[in-house]
Amino acid sequence: MTKHSCKAGQFLKNEQYAAWHDETLWIVREKRDKMARAVPEWEKLRERASKIKEHTLSELDNYLIEFEKQALKNGAQVHWAADAAQFNQIVYNIINENNASKVVKSKSMLTEECGLNLFLETKGIEVTDTDLGERIIQFRNEPPSHIVMPAIHLKKEEISELFHQKLQTEEGNFDPAYLTTAARLHLRQKFLEAEVAITGVNFAVAETGTVVVCTNEGNADMGAHAAPVQIHCMGIEKIIPGIVDLGVFIRLLARSATGQLITTYTSHYTGPKPGGHMHIVIVDNGRSEHLAKKDYLNALKCIRCGACMNTCPVYRRSGGHSYGSVIPGPIGSILAPHSQIKTSSDLPFASSLCGSCSDVCPVKIDIHDQLYRWRQDLSEMKLVSPGKRYAMKIAGKILSKSKMYDCLGKTARYVIKNLPHKLIYNRFNIWGKGRELPEVPKESFKQWYKRTYQEKGG
Amino acid sequence: MGRDKILQTIRENKTKVTPLPKTITDTNLKEKFDSGLINRFKEILQHVGGDYFEVNGTEELNAFTERHFSGAANFRKKEIWKRYPPDCPKENIAQLKTVILEVQFGVAENGAVWVDESNFPNRLLPFIAEELIVCLDSKQIISDMHEAYFRIANKVTGFGVFISGPSKTADIEQNLVFGAHGAKKTTVILY
Repeated sequence: MTKHSCKAGQFLKNEQYAAWHDETLWIVREKRDKMARAVPEWEKLRERASKIKEHTLSELDNYLIEFEKQALKNGAQVHWAADAAQFNQIVYNIINENNASKVVKSKSMLTEECGLNLFLETKGIEVTDTDLGERIIQFRNEPPSHIVMPAIHLKKEEISELFHQKLQTEEGNFDPAYLTTAARLHLRQKFLEAEVAITGVNFAVAETGTVVVCTNEGNADMGAHAAPVQIHCMGIEKIIPGIVDLGVFIRLLARSATGQLITTYTSHYTGPKPGGHMHIVIVDNGRSEHLAKKDYLNALKCIRCGACMNTCPVYRRSGGHSYGSVIPGPIGSILAPHSQIKTSSDLPFASSLCGSCSDVCPVKIDIHDQLYRWRQDLSEMKLVSPGKRYAMKIAGKILSKSKMYDCLGKTARYVIKNLPHKLIYNRFNIWGKGRELPEVPKESFKQWYKRTYQEKGG
Repeated sequence: MGRDKILQTIRENKTKVTPLPKTITDTNLKEKFDSGLINRFKEILQHVGGDYFEVNGTEELNAFTERHFSGAANFRKKEIWKRYPPDCPKENIAQLKTVILEVQFGVAENGAVWVDESNFPNRLLPFIAEELIVCLDSKQIISDMHEAYFRIANKVTGFGVFISGPSKTADIEQNLVFGAHGAKKTTVILY
């Protein structure tokens, strides 16, 4: 069994919990559907968003240069990081130059990807994640299980117990409003103390040098406006050409992500506050290499809404942590192999290929096609498990020889019907783990067809 | 250096240039008073957890804010601006319970209002108070985000934000709670 399926098995052991997780995410998916259906031009918006991203990627160097020029003109400082190590060092240097030791951070999958928190902490910097869900998982010392709802895997009882230990809330009080208020007071203090604020970036506008950050809580703004130094971290693919293009993406993002019309705050940072410092760190970390892989190019269009996770039957029933990649779910499964091919070669198989991910994607990424493509590429690279490889080889031989197929079909029908259950569901029958084989028909389709049509002269 | 290496790799790897789709120009920019838009805005605002009052013109607005929010820091009055300059200690701003701001326009499709640096002296103000009151000229309600960005396009300031309802979170088992970090209550006064 693959790493993912082992971890999914663990996740499914608690049936009640697994069912709750499945239902909770399905509700988010349904909210998204309602929103999409209420916008008559929804499909046109998706098409336009996809085309804008395609164009931007085809001129990425020029747009990045334009963005930098504008940002510098606005008084921001622009830094470039080729990889995670450079990125971490740049952020640390900014903190260090400002003699800071306390940092607040709002949600950024890029900083997760680069391991920024750990790096800064080893340098003695106190980093506080300020999104409620992120603060919860930071207290628990675990990675997010979803890119939009990082603590979606936790029950309120667990959070209550955690806050009782960390924030001295009442034991056994798991009222979400009470717990949120406790976090508000705790984090308000952190905002006021922080010397540097770090945010992620949803969109970066080349035309004006603006970075756009979307939150529901207001934590990016509380951080960036309270601290004298603000750092915005973005991957190179976050660029869009102009301000008016934001109309398309902002309309799509929250509707796709959580079934909201818009996030509570859509903040546009163009220049530093009077007397403050604004830094923008542009990070590559493998993205420019990804541009060369034409079959996988569309994955760079992702706006990180998480809709593909909410709809995925595998994600909903295995949880984000089962993927073992920074970004879980369908989009994570096509992104991860680009940078971690050996450790994530099982992920493109963690899918039913039902295609629902591609259907809900607001920028029309061909996610399930890429999953399928990865399977073939990984097989060619001999990066699938030997069991799967040989099974496929044998199946390929059988399926290409009609007589052998007929003969083995007959044998299988006899064996499955007459052999003891225990013998069929042996340890080599991975497919039969948790699944029953279908009832065997008396005859093959070929036999049935012959009998029904040819013998009767039909 | 990171920059040149990144740009060089992009140049080597990028695809043939594809065209940028034309911007959406088929939306009608509504300049006239449109009651359909106002009703839609009010309905959506309540849906996103916001509240509203309606008054008739600026005089009534001034009287209304005086009467109902006398303790609030009203940034529609310029004299208060110098008490909360950009370098004002954040602890002082953190004391504010209610902040009143003028906003530039509202968006009917999502109940958001647009406010930028020309509307407040310190960027923390729209976020830090427990209660946010925004005053919106009811003639300044537009239909959607495309129109919104056409309006903003030519006058980008250092910071601007769309605010739709009160601050919220659903990070604890998807239970909606207002007032995660920003305002617990957001009220729009339409005048």
